Amino acid sequence: MYTLPIRMDREWLHQFLKRIETDSDWATWERFQLALEAAETEMIPSFESIQSLKQIQGFRPLPHQIDVVERVINEMRGRAILADEVGLGKTIEAGLILKEYLLRGLVKRALILVPSSLVLQWTRELNQKFQIPAVAQKKAWMWDKYEIIVASLDTAKREPHRDYVLNQHYDMVIVDEAHKLKNRRTKNWQFINDLKKKYCLLLTATPVQNEIEELYNLVTLLKPGQLGKQSQFQSDYVAGKRKAKNEAQLREEIRRVLIRNRRRDSNLHLTRRLVQTIPIELSEEERLLYEGITEFVRDRYRRGTDLKSMLALFVLQKEVCSSRDAVFHTLFKLFQKGEQGKENLSPEVAHLIELLRKVTRSSKVNAAVELIKQIAPEKVILFTEYRATQEMLIRELAKAGIHAVPFRGGFNRNKKDWMMEIFQKRAQVMIATEAGGEGINLQFCHHMINFDMPWNPMRVEQRIGRIHRLGQTKDVHIYNFSTINTIEEHIIWLLHEKIRLFESVIGELETILEKVDGASTIEQNLMKLVLESADDDRIRQELSKWGDQFHQKKQEVEKQKEEEELLLYGSEEG
Amino acid sequence: MDQKKVREFTERYLKLNDCHILESGPTYLLTQLSIHADKDLLNRPFYWMYVERMNLPPQPVRLSFVFDPENHPEEIRGEHLFYGTPRFAKILQSAQKHGKFVRLYEEPRYEPAYTDLTKPYSPWLAVNYKVSYVCDQKRDRLCSLGINLNDGTIREGFYEVIKDRRWSNRLPAKRYTVEPRLQVVEAVGELEYYLEETIRCEDLTWAEEAEKRLQSELERLDVFYPDEPSMPDEIQKEKKRRREEIVWQFHPRVEISVINAGLFYVDTPQQNLTNQKIWL
Repeated sequence: MYTLPIRMDREWLHQFLKRIETDSDWATWERFQLALEAAETEMIPSFESIQSLKQIQGFRPLPHQIDVVERVINEMRGRAILADEVGLGKTIEAGLILKEYLLRGLVKRALILVPSSLVLQWTRELNQKFQIPAVAQKKAWMWDKYEIIVASLDTAKREPHRDYVLNQHYDMVIVDEAHKLKNRRTKNWQFINDLKKKYCLLLTATPVQNEIEELYNLVTLLKPGQLGKQSQFQSDYVAGKRKAKNEAQLREEIRRVLIRNRRRDSNLHLTRRLVQTIPIELSEEERLLYEGITEFVRDRYRRGTDLKSMLALFVLQKEVCSSRDAVFHTLFKLFQKGEQGKENLSPEVAHLIELLRKVTRSSKVNAAVELIKQIAPEKVILFTEYRATQEMLIRELAKAGIHAVPFRGGFNRNKKDWMMEIFQKRAQVMIATEAGGEGINLQFCHHMINFDMPWNPMRVEQRIGRIHRLGQTKDVHIYNFSTINTIEEHIIWLLHEKIRLFESVIGELETILEKVDGASTIEQNLMKLVLESADDDRIRQELSKWGDQFHQKKQEVEKQKEEEELLLYGSEEG
Repeated sequence: MDQKKVREFTERYLKLNDCHILESGPTYLLTQLSIHADKDLLNRPFYWMYVERMNLPPQPVRLSFVFDPENHPEEIRGEHLFYGTPRFAKILQSAQKHGKFVRLYEEPRYEPAYTDLTKPYSPWLAVNYKVSYVCDQKRDRLCSLGINLNDGTIREGFYEVIKDRRWSNRLPAKRYTVEPRLQVVEAVGELEYYLEETIRCEDLTWAEEAEKRLQSELERLDVFYPDEPSMPDEIQKEKKRRREEIVWQFHPRVEISVINAGLFYVDTPQQNLTNQKIWL
């Protein structure tokens, strides 16, 4: 017959006997009752129920996230690959699972390994969202000093850290961006394999990037043998690099260790995006400046300059569609060196400065003020690419009686939080220069102005993603400012009408762009197309060609992705 | 635990631990901690070591707890306290630490007879056990046991019986206690034996299933790393490590800890002195 081990705590007894012997240090009846209530509060009433949900405040996990937590704990027994598509909240799922195990006392020591750029973000999120006292690892002595550590995988795997880490027993290990463990012959993989761990979560949106074997390697870290021995796996399931056989069985095996939520399957309907182009007519002075700068840029480009100046020229061409202030800033820097020591500015530059001086009001700012007043009292986030434009806008909006706060990448964490708080509580407008950056969730706002437009679709999507995300309950309004008869108008046409960037999320955008532009950056490619075209018609044709290419690659990528998804995860949850 | 209960609990904790409530608004309260509450709720051992070594006047901190941040006025700073925060966890821990052991006499419920005889109590040892069922998952249950130190009777749910009575730290006038027939150590042994027996008679499906999972995981491992003489040392070590992890993760067991315990002198009606079971 099976005998269940029972461990009885007796340490209390000698303390109790000592109280009796010395007849001192007795607690009161009220304290005795309070102690019992405290202990009862912390008790876990059943194996399956999820307790962590009762102990978080400030956000509500979505149904698919709760589902993941339940499956990982009750079915997968704490070892799983979390492979939701980007933006569905893998971090939240992992945080909840960790919290659940901490509450149950099943996890005390935990190690969270992430890319170094995400260490602070993860730490903050665990601290603030989940009230988990995680610490960012900075020094080697910290490894055995703290129970819950967030560290960079690259640091942890190197000496002297490696030794410390491999000597510990971790009740739970979480690895973010786990596709970095796809290759068994790498140090990353070996390191995670060598760790002593009880529960383990691997987070990645792309468990298979190139070949099915990558998935095998991930599974082997969690449960060696789950997909058989390597040779057996190859003969049972692999027909080619991206081709499998015995698909149904493979899918079944994968389902035991991997959870993937997809936007489509999980009924995660985001609200709508309502896009509006706001045409802006330049004033006479602004038009002259625009033409002056364009002529100047083309002239320099034709004469050929070094790469660094070339980049500055690109920037200048974009800036002239944003604000006079931005142009001035770049012109100043561009000629600080070139014109140093000379008595007088070259006539060319002097001419530009003259044109610049004549611009006294900004048509775009007028449009912005008008639009923001229309939207009031609802909140607006306004994006610009340039710091000079940002500062100018803060001043101009203040003049118009509009309370606006700035936001940029260079702010430290506290200042960022502070600005977000003011925006949420008091200011109507936030003027931001960067869209990326962690932890910027502005779901309380659903109006967005693109004061000027990044040429890179990724950056545009990042901007939109700040407000159009899970948790946004209202339709999102996007206003694109487009100066008529300028390069900006062409670019907005390309992004909006040609590649239909705004209305919906384009999955795999990054992969598609890589395929279109190869190694060089998309901005430079587009700029070249523009500068080498003789006139507007030609520009439109060139951009149109680029757009066609984009569509073609998009179809290719989507088709391939779809096949792969079907193969690995099936079409719909069974 | 909702916010109302969190607040109630916190206020009781503060009062019972000699902290003063300096301000109390609908959304918050401001408290001056006592020294021992400061030591329990804040993590600053070096400060306290320093103060005690140097004989300086101690300055425990003031804390402002916000229970309803939605409606809380912005100008009053404070920390949001709810079930799930590290601070509240510390309050729960501290409460348990300071309510471990009692020796209590029941306030007389039965007037002594006119004969004016002094009257003995019946002595009970009560232990509140936390029973944890652990495998890769876990659940807990409270088991409150009492044992009569005179005749060895064991009662389950003992706390339920005593919780609504009135208890005093001091022996009331005209009452006395006699040396019980059962030693505390013996009584504890009886309770432990009783508890183990109870657990072994419970439905053990959960443990058997965990054991099955454990065995099937170990089998999978044996297929993946077949024991062959040619197996390199490194792989052998790896296999051993994996085995240990699986056992660590799955092996079913019961862990029993003691939340608190006490000697309870229970008042008994005179006429029933000989049959003490009736009062329960």
